[in-house]
Amino acid sequence: MPSYQACCAHDHDCEAEECGPAWSLHKHVHLSHVSALNEAVQGSAVSVLRPWHQRLEPPVPNLDSNDDDPELLIHIPFDGTVKLKAVCIIGGSDGTAPSELRAFTNRDDLDFAAVGELSPVQRWELQDNSSGQLEYRTQLTKFNGVHSVDLHIPANFGAGHTRIHFIGLKGEFTQGRREAVVAVYETQPMPDTVSKLPTTGFTSDVA
Amino acid sequence: MEATVVCVDNSEWTRNGDYAPTRFQAQADAVNLLAGAKTQANPENTVGVLTMAGKTPRVLVTPTPDLGRVLNSMQALEIEGEANLSSAVQIAQLALKHRQNKNQRQRIVLFVGSPIREDKATLVKIAKKLKKNNVAVDVVAFGSEGEEANTEKLEAFREAVNSGDNSHLVTVPAGTVLSDMLFSSPIFQVEGGAGYGAPAGGAEGGGVSGGYDFGVDPNLDPELALALRVSMEEERARQSAAAAATIEDAGAAGSSAAAAEGAAGAAPVAAAGDEAEAMDEDALLQQALAMSMQADQSGGGKAPAAAPAPAPAAPAADQDMALDAADDELQRALQMSMAGEGEASAAPAAGGGAPGGVADMLGDSDYLASVLGSLPGVDPSDPALQGALASLNSGAAGGGS
Repeated sequence: MPSYQACCAHDHDCEAEECGPAWSLHKHVHLSHVSALNEAVQGSAVSVLRPWHQRLEPPVPNLDSNDDDPELLIHIPFDGTVKLKAVCIIGGSDGTAPSELRAFTNRDDLDFAAVGELSPVQRWELQDNSSGQLEYRTQLTKFNGVHSVDLHIPANFGAGHTRIHFIGLKGEFTQGRREAVVAVYETQPMPDTVSKLPTTGFTSDVA
Repeated sequence: MEATVVCVDNSEWTRNGDYAPTRFQAQADAVNLLAGAKTQANPENTVGVLTMAGKTPRVLVTPTPDLGRVLNSMQALEIEGEANLSSAVQIAQLALKHRQNKNQRQRIVLFVGSPIREDKATLVKIAKKLKKNNVAVDVVAFGSEGEEANTEKLEAFREAVNSGDNSHLVTVPAGTVLSDMLFSSPIFQVEGGAGYGAPAGGAEGGGVSGGYDFGVDPNLDPELALALRVSMEEERARQSAAAAATIEDAGAAGSSAAAAEGAAGAAPVAAAGDEAEAMDEDALLQQALAMSMQADQSGGGKAPAAAPAPAPAAPAADQDMALDAADDELQRALQMSMAGEGEASAAPAAGGGAPGGVADMLGDSDYLASVLGSLPGVDPSDPALQGALASLNSGAAGGGS
C-alpha cells in the first residue's frame, strides 16, 4: 500500500477564524473515553486534542510514551459519525517526533499485539512538523462513517521516547451514534455511579 | 469496573503446612475471599481463575461476574507439577484481552507459593509488556523456600509493571492466616481507595458503613436508601447554594443568622465527623440536622430534628458495638450540636427561634429519654447514659436561650 506524503502546507497566514473551524473535530471527540497505551502519564492523551489556535502551545501534561519505547497507541472515539479528511500531528523536538502513523477505524479492541498484525486503513510517513504546517490527507472513501479512530505510532526520529504536542483532526461531523450507549448495569445502586448521572433538577416540595 | 484473572499456584510446594491447614487450602480461601470482594464491589466486575502448575497453565474459569462458578472451580483444583509463571501470566493477559466488556480495566492477581524459576530479567520484560498494555498486577507471595530470591524478583517485577500505583506486592509471612493478611492489604482496595467493608458488617456494598441511616436498611431496600442519600446530597448542595445567595443579598440580620447557623452547624459537623469512621455519613446527617433547624424557624423543629438526631447517633452506635463507646460518641455529638446551637443563639433574634427550640427539646429530659430509647443498641435506663443526659441538661440550662 503506497504511503501518502504530506500535502497542503499552510503557507498562507493561518488566522484562527479561517482554519480553525475546519479543524474542529476535537469538539466532537468523546473526551472521557480517549485512551492511550504506553503513555508515561495516565490520561495525558486527552491533552493533545485541542482547538487549532492552541496547537503550538505545549500541552500539560505532555503526551509522552514510556522511556525506551517509542510506540504509542491512541484511541479516539467520537460522539457521532465523522468523515475524516486530514490529520495534523505536531511532535516534540530532538527526535521525539513521530516518524510514522498508522490509522485504524471503528475498532475498540486494539492493543500492540493486534496492531502489529493488522494492516492499517491508512499509513503515512511523517515529517518533522513542529510548526503544524503539514497536514496529512486521508483517502476519503475509507474514512467515511468513522466512529472511532486508533492512531498507532510505531517509531520516532531516534529518541528514546516519543512526544506529541498536538493532534488535529479535520473533517465533517454528523450526529448520531450507531451503537447503544455504554451502560453500567447494576443489580444494586452504587453510590459512586450516581454522580455520573445527569441530575434532573428534581426539587423537593417538602417545606 | 475491573476484569481480574487470578493465577493460582497449585504446584507441589503448596502441600506444605506452614500456613494452616496447608498452603494450598489457605490460598484457596484467600482466592474465594478475593473473588467475593471483587464481585461485591461492582456487579460488573468479572473474575477468572487459572492454574499455573501442571503440564501447562489452564484457564479454569474465564472472567465471569458469577461468583458461584469461581467458587466451584476452586473446589476442583488439584496439586501437580511446578508453576510456570511466565507462561501463566501471558495466558492471563490473553484471557483479559478477550474480555467481553472492553470498558473494564485489566488486572492479574498472582499467587506465588513456590520458588520462581524464571530470572529477574525475564520477569521485568514480561512486566514491561503488561504495563504497555495497561494491565495492573497484584502479587501475593507466600511460602518460605527461596523467599529472598523470590522477593527480589517480585519487587523488580512490581516496579516494572507499576503505573500510577495500581500494582501491589504483598508478602505473607509463614504461620499467619493468609486471608487475614490479604484482607488488610491494598490488594483488597477498590480503585478509588475505599475499602471493601468491614468483615463484621458482612456483605455490604462498598462505602455504606452502617445500616438504618435514614431508617431504611440498605440491604433490604438499596434503591430507597440510595435515593434518600442522593436527595440529601442534592438538598445539601442546594442549601449551600441558597446560603451563599442569601449572604450576597443586602440582607438583614436574619440572613447573617442563617449563614452563622450554617457555619456553626458545619463546625460541629466537621468535628463530630472526625470521630466516627464513616465521616461522610455523619457529616451528611449532621448537616441535615442543621438544615432542618434552619428550615423550621419556630418550635416545629422537633419532628425533623428528632429524625436526624437519632440518625447521627445510629451510625455512631453501629460503629462501635460497646455501649460505653456509643455513649461517649453520642454524648460528644449531642454536646457539639448543643455548643453549635448555643453559639448561634447568641446571634440576633431572627435566628434565635430555632436554636432555642432545640435547646428546649434537649433540655426536656423525658422527651430526650424517649428519643434515645428508640435508638438501636441504646438502653435509656443505663446509668452511664443517665449521667450523660444529666450533664447535658445542666449544660443546656446554662447555654440555652
